[in-house]
This record gives sequence, structure tokens and C-alpha cells, in this order.
Amino acid sequence: MGTVSALRVKEEPKYPGIVEAPRYSCALGGAYMAALATFNTVPILHSGAGCGMSQNFGQNFAAGLNDAGPTGNTSTPCSCLVEEHAVFGGEDKLRALIRTTLELVQGELYVVISGCVPALIGDDVPAVVKEFRKDAPIVFVNTAGFLGNSYKGYEQFLDAVIDQLLEPQPVVAKRVNLLGIVPYQHIFWKGNLQVIKDLLAKVGVSANMIFTENSGLEALKSIPSAELNLVLSPWSGVAAAKKLEEKFASPYEVIPTVPVGPKDTTAFLRFIADRLDLDRDEVERVIAAEEHRAYRFSEYMAAITSMALPNAYTAIVADTSTAIGLTRYGSNELGWLPEIVILTDDPPEEYRGEIVRFLTENLASAVTPEVHFEIDSHRIRQLLNEHTVQLVLASSLEKHIATSELQAMQVSVAFPTYDRLIVDRNYAGYRGGLALMEDVAYKYGGPL
Amino acid sequence: MSIDLNKDSCPNREQRAGAVNAYFGKASDLVQEARNGTLTNKERDFQQSSGCVLNFYLTTRVVTIRDAVMIVHAPVGCSSTALLYREVYRKIPASEGLPTFDLHWLTTNLDEKDVVYGGADKLRHAILEAEERYKPKAIFIMASCTSGIIGDDIEGVVSETQQEVNATIVPVHCEGIRSRIIQTAYDAFWHAVLKYLVKKDIPKQPDLVNIASMLSYTWQDRQEITRLLNRIGLRPNFIPEFATVEQFEQLGAAAVTAPICPTYTDYLSRGLEQEFGVPYFMYPSPVGIEHTDEWLRVIARHTGKEQEVEELIREERAKWLPKLEKIQHEFAAIKPDGEKVQILGSLGQGRLLTQVPYFEEIGVSSPAAIIQDFDNLVLDEVQQVIDQAGDFDVLVNTFQAAELAHITRKYDPDVALTCPFQGSAYKREKGATRIHAVRGDSREWSAQAGYKGAIAYGNFLLQSVKNKSFQKTLLDKTPDTYKAWWYEQPNPLHYLKKEAV
Ligand code: SF4
Repeated sequence: MGTVSALRVKEEPKYPGIVEAPRYSCALGGAYMAALATFNTVPILHSGAGCGMSQNFGQNFAAGLNDAGPTGNTSTPCSCLVEEHAVFGGEDKLRALIRTTLELVQGELYVVISGCVPALIGDDVPAVVKEFRKDAPIVFVNTAGFLGNSYKGYEQFLDAVIDQLLEPQPVVAKRVNLLGIVPYQHIFWKGNLQVIKDLLAKVGVSANMIFTENSGLEALKSIPSAELNLVLSPWSGVAAAKKLEEKFASPYEVIPTVPVGPKDTTAFLRFIADRLDLDRDEVERVIAAEEHRAYRFSEYMAAITSMALPNAYTAIVADTSTAIGLTRYGSNELGWLPEIVILTDDPPEEYRGEIVRFLTENLASAVTPEVHFEIDSHRIRQLLNEHTVQLVLASSLEKHIATSELQAMQVSVAFPTYDRLIVDRNYAGYRGGLALMEDVAYKYGGPL
Repeated sequence: MSIDLNKDSCPNREQRAGAVNAYFGKASDLVQEARNGTLTNKERDFQQSSGCVLNFYLTTRVVTIRDAVMIVHAPVGCSSTALLYREVYRKIPASEGLPTFDLHWLTTNLDEKDVVYGGADKLRHAILEAEERYKPKAIFIMASCTSGIIGDDIEGVVSETQQEVNATIVPVHCEGIRSRIIQTAYDAFWHAVLKYLVKKDIPKQPDLVNIASMLSYTWQDRQEITRLLNRIGLRPNFIPEFATVEQFEQLGAAAVTAPICPTYTDYLSRGLEQEFGVPYFMYPSPVGIEHTDEWLRVIARHTGKEQEVEELIREERAKWLPKLEKIQHEFAAIKPDGEKVQILGSLGQGRLLTQVPYFEEIGVSSPAAIIQDFDNLVLDEVQQVIDQAGDFDVLVNTFQAAELAHITRKYDPDVALTCPFQGSAYKREKGATRIHAVRGDSREWSAQAGYKGAIAYGNFLLQSVKNKSFQKTLLDKTPDTYKAWWYEQPNPLHYLKKEAV
């Protein structure tokens, strides 16, 4: 057990709520990203004309230079509200838009997402959407940009799906849903989901990723059939899991991070084996084979690891679950010294104590990180400058600061990341640690 | 219509210039209707997200002003495109003239409480916070849909707070819902610049040339323009992208305002003439060899450099014309029987004026033009293009991806020029490439302006006919966004409503 570092006395900002470059978009942005991540889904934005398109740079592109897919960005139907709608209402415009979208745009599921303007003028969006329920699967996310950030929008998307689309299903043994990985905000979301799914398949568990499953509608509808909901974040997705428990009696477990590297991955599999009562020998055989390969491969990186960054003081600036995974892998397997962790996803107050424990307990390093919850990029920069570190795992906002102010190497691993393409790349599972080292060493690269 | 700087903001493009963003027909008819005053804008029953007055142009542009701070007075989503701020322009090598800079922006992060009780107080605090943290020369305040609908008195906050800070506060009325024409954003921004930043009573700088640079012109383009102007003893003043506040202050001292994109520069140019006596011209822009000659000549007339410019043009032509001829030959050899390679691109109104003639120059043709918006500010210039290139079809649409996919199939050009805002139009059997690079791209490959750019862009376009596998593969292997009937009917504006708005 490491020591729990006391939470630093929180500096009360002089002007609460005003922020330099917070690392997320609005609730509409989050709900919109979740809809895009659910394949064959057509988001329909009831909002100003800029709310959707601007998320292309503010969400998709910011998550490792990604496109928004076939129904994202300027391909997203939008009611494009202007002043006269603010005065006379936008319901007619929305009605026409839904009708024409159903006519024109291919999709299995249509998701109407409303932004600030209709919320402020009081459009009755549920009533308009209801008119189309007979024509196609359609749900309505009752949000607005001023109601919260992208993480909130992700929860609201799931909330709408649970309320409006899901029906009780017979429970299928050894089936789980993966919750808590927030599309685009967790920049490795696609790869992380697939790795966990594949890993679980090896031990006989069938996982529903929801996002990036071939049929999004089918994936959503089958949510209530799971034996267990796995939330892979200490806080994102917990609300949805609780709601599923209430509505369908599906139990859930919270795993604080997508496991990075062999140790945490093995712990994860053993936990699942216990929880779902899997054949223990079978699971141990999988673990042994995977560990063998992972550690045999670790030998290939031994020289560069010990030459480039031996026992590096590390700063991590990321969303909570990414930060936990990287802190633990760096400390417990690579020999790094986690000096400071800054969490940028603004978790609700009630989860923070536990999050600090996840980040500071059970670490192999003699150093435990100072943990901060900070959304203001200016203050994050000041915090980093108070520390001497050699490696910065952060967003690309820290890219130039790391080299010019901290004299440290930096790798972009968190939102926003504009300096690398991340399609399938991830640091999850047995090979995740190796992938992380590949990227870190790329920054160091060159002959010894 | 004269510019009234006593007003808080400009009129919308709809009012000022009869702007529309929905039209399909002959270019000559479009010009005629605009002249007759019978051109009307119409709503679409099917519409796609396409940008608003605030986003994305203004947030990503204003945040690049080097010693200013941008405050986006809005809920948190409206500024997310500005997250790129610490990386934009950073890849320019020092050898290419990268200055030191550090950009900042704040959001007032309007929430549920603020939309009930008002956000003015938060805005005031944001201004004070910006001053204390960053000591900027100017603070730009960007209004939003939400600040507009809840009725925050931004002007009131500005006049109250200005005495407390050293920075010049510049409120920009770019509420997303104010106009259907996103180009209103340009005017709203220039209005604020003219009203708050440009200095009166400073000495004239007879060698200074104002150039409002779009983000679609790259660092190489600036380098080329700087090179050419320097050769005749002139200096460019590039605003607003990546400028200093001082560069805005000096706009009124310049000898002339020259266009890269006339529709973009229009309001600024007129305002600088009206208020500060700086002359301007709208045509041509420095794209293509001929137009670069002409652009330089007009600038020279305003600065007394007529002799120097002729010498420059002679030298440059001797250097670049052989390269142009090579490009012409290569294009001419692609198709049999003297048939020209056809290129279709979606353009701003300004690029219509530059690119169609440039295509003529390199020996390719356009089956049609797609332009984001159309207004009566540059009718003579469009007429001039029609006279030169012959009449052509025009689709006016602001990033309507379904319509773009439709028209790209309909005309089936050899090369489709696209950008990240054109949806699936790039998926096709034939050529597809980007229409332009952006801002801090300092690779020579990405140049488009001046003589150097004319050659670089010609060679760039040639590359696009040499391999089509990417777009072809995606066409084959991914489902189309739209149902088949869409392409089987003839009208890209199928969903246009009949009534005018
Ligand atoms: S905050 Fe509101 S207006 Fe801004 S992008 Fe989000 S939904 Fe649109």
C-alpha cells in the first residue's frame, strides 16, 4: 500500500466557471459523438448550424485526427436554426428535417439531439419526435450545450436509449456490456473496446461494445440481455449502469480503468473469472499464454526502456480512467515515478476521494503522485511548471510546453490530441504496455 | 451602403448585399437576377450542419491573433474548435520566420444558472481574468446564440469594464442565429476591428499593403507575397490570421488594401476607405500568373512603383513561364483529341473569381462551379469571369454534403476538389484531391499564391490524376450515406422550398 497523498487545498478560482480551453465540448457534443460511434445511426441535430460542424475540429479531429464518419460533420442533418426560429419556434423546421432525413439518409436508428437554441426557446421536441415513432426507430436526447460537457452528453445519450428504446430481454449467461468508454473523449476508445472484447472472448465471455459494433441498433437493443454491465471508468457510465440495474435488474461492476499491460490485465481477467464464475483453469491457461508472449516481448524493449527513460519522473494529464491505467502501468511495470497526475474530465465531487485512492494506492514506486482535478489549461500549465518531470503523458496541448518549459519528453495520449492519428491504436490489454513504449520510444528515437 | 461604425455591428449579408446560399442554374442568370434585385434566398427542407456566424471560422481565426485573448461568451461547446490553439502555426520552421508567440482563450462557460440569471457578470469577470493572467493588448469578445437569446448586454459590460483594463476590448457580434449567411461573420469581425482597433491620426506608411489573409492560404503563400512585395520596396500587412494587435492598429496607415479573397475583405476594405482614406481594389487576386501580374500592377499604381513592378514581372515571367508550359503540356496530354481535363471544386465566392481563370491558364476546365454563398458585392467581377471563360452552371450551397455528393456524380469531373466539409463527395471512380491546404502548412508543395504557387498548385493538381485507388476503394467498400434515389433524380436542390425567406 502506498501512502495517500493529501488532496492539495483547492485553490478557489477567483472567477468561478471561467476557463481557458477546457478539454471537452458541450453536452450536445457528447451525445452527438455517442450517436456517431453507434454504427448505422443518423444523428439529427436540432440546433444552430455551427453546433455540429464545429465539433468536427473540437471533438473528432481533436481525438487523434479522426473523421466523424458517414453521418458526421457536414453530413449530419441539422435544422440550422436562425433568429426567426428563435422568435416563432423551430418545430416545423425540425418536423420537415426528420421527414426528409428518413427519406434520404441511410440508417437503422435516428437520434434527434437538441442544442441550446431550442432549449432556450422552448420547442416541444419530444412531441415532434413522437410523430415519427411509427416510421423508424428514433430517439430523442433532451440536451443543450449549457447543461454540461461532453461526458454529460454521453450519459444523456445512454439515458435516452434506455428510456426510449430498450425493452426487457431474457438474460444470456456470460454476456456483458462495456460502458464508461466515452467516444472521442477517450481518444483510444475504438481500440480499447475491441481489445477488451477480444480478451473476454478468449475466456468465453461475449462482450457488447455498443460503439463500433456492426449493427448499432442491434447492439443497443441487446443491452438488457447482459448478465453483467462492466463500467470501465470510476465515474463515466456509472449513471447508466445504475439505471440499467433499476430498470432491468442488471448488476454492474466498476473497473476504474481499461487495464494497461499484463499485470492489470491479468487482474482484470481473474476478477471477471470470479464474478462470472468462469472455468478457472481455462482462464489461467489464457493468462499464462498471454503473459508469456507479453513478457518475452518486453525483453525486446528492455534496452531502450532503460536507456531512454529509466525511473522517469512522470506527469500525466488526462481523463480519469486513462490516467489511472497509465499511472499504474508506468509505476508497476516500467519503473517510472508518477510525480503529478492532473485529471481533466471534471468528475463529480462524490467520486473524487476514490479516484485519488486508485491513483495513489498499490503502486510499486516510492513516489506517489500529487493528484489534481483541474479543467483550466492555464492552471494545468502552472501546475506542471511547479514540478520537475522527464516524461509528460498528456494531451497535445502540452506538446510544446513540455519541450520548451519543462524540458521533458511528451507523448499525446489524451484529449485533445492533434499531433497523431489514432484509429485502432490503443494501450489496452497485454500488448498495450508495449504499444505505449513504442510510442514513447518513437519520441526518443535515434541510435544510442 | 455606407458603413456605420456608431452601430454595434454590421448589417447581415442578406441585407447589405442580397446574399443567398441556395441557387442552382446558369452563372449568367444568377448575375442577372442579382442585378435585377429578383434573387431571393430560400430554405431547405433537408439541411446539414454547415457552420454558423461564430463557428468555425471566427473561433479558429480570432484565437490566432498573437497578443490578444479571445473570450467566447457562450456555453462550453461553442469554442471547442479553438482547442487547436497551442499547436496552430507551430510547425513553421524558425528559418521560415516563425515568431515567438503564446495564444490564449477563455470560455465564460455559460451554464443552466447563467441562462436564467444572465451571463453579464461572468463576462465582466472573464475580461478581468484575461487582463490579469495574460496582459494582452486586446481582448476579443465573441457573442453566441445563447448570449444573444438571453439578452446579455455585452456593450454595457464593455463600456463599464474598459476603464479597468489596459487591453482594448473588442466585442464581436457573431451570434450564430443572426444570419443564414455565415459570411456575415467576416463583416461582424471587421466592423469590430474598424470600430475599436484601427488607429486614427497615425503617420501614413506609404509602403504598407493591407492583405486580409484567409486560413485557406498557407505560410508559403505569405512568403511568396512578401517576397514579391519586398522586391518592389513594399511590405505586406497580413491580418487577421496570426497578426499582432499593432498590425490591426496600423491598417488605416497603409497605402492600399489588396484582396486575396474579395468577399472576405470587402467590409474591411470599404471601411478603411470610408473612415481612413485607404484605397482598395477587389480584383484580381494573386492566383495564377496573369492575375498575379495584374494584382501587383494595381498595387504598384497605388504606391508609385509602376516601373519597378514591370521589371519584376519581366523577371518572374522569364523564370516561371517555362514551368507553366510544362504543366500545360502535361495536362493537354492526359486526354485524347485536345479534350481538356475537367476539375470541379467547391469554392468561396472569392475563389470562383480566382480559380476559374487559373484553370484556364493551366489548360483545364470546370464543368460547373460550386460556391458557398453569392451576393451582389462582386457582380462585375463574376461577369468578367463569365466573359472570359464562357457561361457555366453554378450551385450555391454552404457545405451541404448531400448536394455536393449529388453534383459531383452529376458532372462526373476528372478531378473533384474537396475539403473536410464536403462529406462523401470524395468517394468516386475518378480523381479527388484537396482544394487547398491551410494556414501554418509551410511545405512548398502546399503553395497556391503568386508565381511560385501557380506552379506548385499546377503540379499538385497533376498528381491527382495519377492514382485514384483511395477514393475508389472507399467508394467500393463503404456504404453510401444517401439512398439510391437521390442520385437518380436530377436536382441537387431537390429539397429547396418554393417560398423566399
Ligand atoms: S454550446 Fe450550445 S450553441 Fe454551442 S455548440 Fe453546444 S449546443 Fe451548440
